[in-house]
Amino acid sequence: MTIDEQELAELTSRSRDVHNDAMRETREPLSEIVEVGREHRAHDEIDPLAGREFAKQRNLQLGKRVGLLGGVGIGAALLGLFDQPAFADKPSDIQMLQTSASIEVLAIAAYTAVLGLPFAGSLPAVVQTFVTTTKDQHMQHLQAFNAAATALGGKAQSMADPVLAKVVEAAKPGLTGPGPVLDLAIELENTAAETYVANTGALEDENAKKVTASIMGVEAQHVSVLLAVQALLSGGLVDQIALPPPNLSALPAAAGGVGFPNAFYKTDLARAADEGAVK
Amino acid sequence: MTPHDDTQQAQTRAAQEPIAISERELTVMTAHLEEAHQATLPVMHDAIADWDERLRSENDPAELAEMRARFGRPSRRGFLIGAGATLGGLVLAACSSSDGKKSSGPATTNTKAAAGGGLATDLKIAALAAALENTAVATYQAGINAATAGKLGTVPPAIVTFATTVQQQHKDHAAAWNAIITGAGKPAVTGVDTTVNDGVVQPAFAQVTDVAGLAKLALSLEDAAGATYLSVIPVVSDPGGVKTVATIQPVEMQHAAILNFVLGQYPVPNAFAKTDGARTLTDKIG
Repeated sequence: MTIDEQELAELTSRSRDVHNDAMRETREPLSEIVEVGREHRAHDEIDPLAGREFAKQRNLQLGKRVGLLGGVGIGAALLGLFDQPAFADKPSDIQMLQTSASIEVLAIAAYTAVLGLPFAGSLPAVVQTFVTTTKDQHMQHLQAFNAAATALGGKAQSMADPVLAKVVEAAKPGLTGPGPVLDLAIELENTAAETYVANTGALEDENAKKVTASIMGVEAQHVSVLLAVQALLSGGLVDQIALPPPNLSALPAAAGGVGFPNAFYKTDLARAADEGAVK
Repeated sequence: MTPHDDTQQAQTRAAQEPIAISERELTVMTAHLEEAHQATLPVMHDAIADWDERLRSENDPAELAEMRARFGRPSRRGFLIGAGATLGGLVLAACSSSDGKKSSGPATTNTKAAAGGGLATDLKIAALAAALENTAVATYQAGINAATAGKLGTVPPAIVTFATTVQQQHKDHAAAWNAIITGAGKPAVTGVDTTVNDGVVQPAFAQVTDVAGLAKLALSLEDAAGATYLSVIPVVSDPGGVKTVATIQPVEMQHAAILNFVLGQYPVPNAFAKTDGARTLTDKIG
């Protein structure tokens, strides 16, 4: 493995500095959300009927979609959601923010589990750094979603999305090497990204929309990195998984396009608005 | 020789390079990805159709007159590379209070202030987006042409694939925006963002001598596109428009991630996307 650990550490440090700058930007919409939430509560403006109707419509829309995770018992769970309007006493924006938080909880747990796998220490150093850094970014996302949800009068979500959690549990015995781990990580990151893309188009509160929109692209970047690593691993080019890349000319031509498979981000995997809401 | 021929030659050369792994396996993977890409288009078409329907139903005579004044004037200004394109003389700068600065919060504020909100704003944003996508398409084409002419030294095959794939996606994005614009009865925006092109791209491209230099320039464009889309999400009034922006913004960020990797930089530098460098409606299009 040709990797400069010191350089990577410096890059990660610089990345954290940039991240801190970005956090300052995110605090602004969060502060605005707090103000809006206070105003809504002060004027008793929360409309439970609107929330119920929205959840119903959102779930019906999702019923048209077919996700890759659908084969693991999710179909039945989704069908169950159509039968009952969920959480008539919660605004839909809060439900979506809580569901987003529940996905983040699961992502944090999944990356934590990866770091504890027997072969984790033998993964390329840059991948180990990615796992650690990405876990940290998901923790920041969880805080942001929960801050947004509580600012609008909802509760913070500390539990994992119940449907996706079952999928991860079912996958755990098969995580015997980097390949299955990458498959699962890609699935989770794509699910997060697609959920946030869908929610950005559905949220009504402007600042909740800003927070969600500022996170969707980051999850998409996680997907890109994972897809690239997956391609290099499956092609036997482990030594090319490094920063900086040791020899770009050694990469196959097709590797140049694997990180961004779609011109438009899909929403097939988006979770139902209320799937991870606090019950 | 057409740009398409250039691309084909570059791809042929790339295919002849000795490769240490199963190219077939990766090609199959790429084919699957192309199928996945095609599968996303119907979703986009639905969003565009929704938007188009609203635009037609809400297009009142006063707005039509305003938009005709903005969209209808021809211009001779050209692309960086794309000579011969039909160019609209769209000038987005409508607000005398705007100062043209590029930053996150102010970008959104300027956009709102400059546009006035509603249908007119949505169409101005669509025009700005189309122009930015056209700028990216032209810049990647310039890079491909320079590489083909041997001006950038050795160009790895993966970089050729990256450039051609990303360029096609930017073409798809521009087509999506122009579908909305023409659906509203306005001419398609085929020009570039001349504020970006003249002020950033042309000077920077003149200094590019290798793949890394081109990657840096491309990264600045992808960052600007991602930031611009993020900044307009709270501004776009039409739900279909927000959906359109939301399906494109993450893809620009994916391009940026790979470019960061190519440049030896951490590919996901921020936990939250930023709006720094977002373009505003004061940009000129020509």
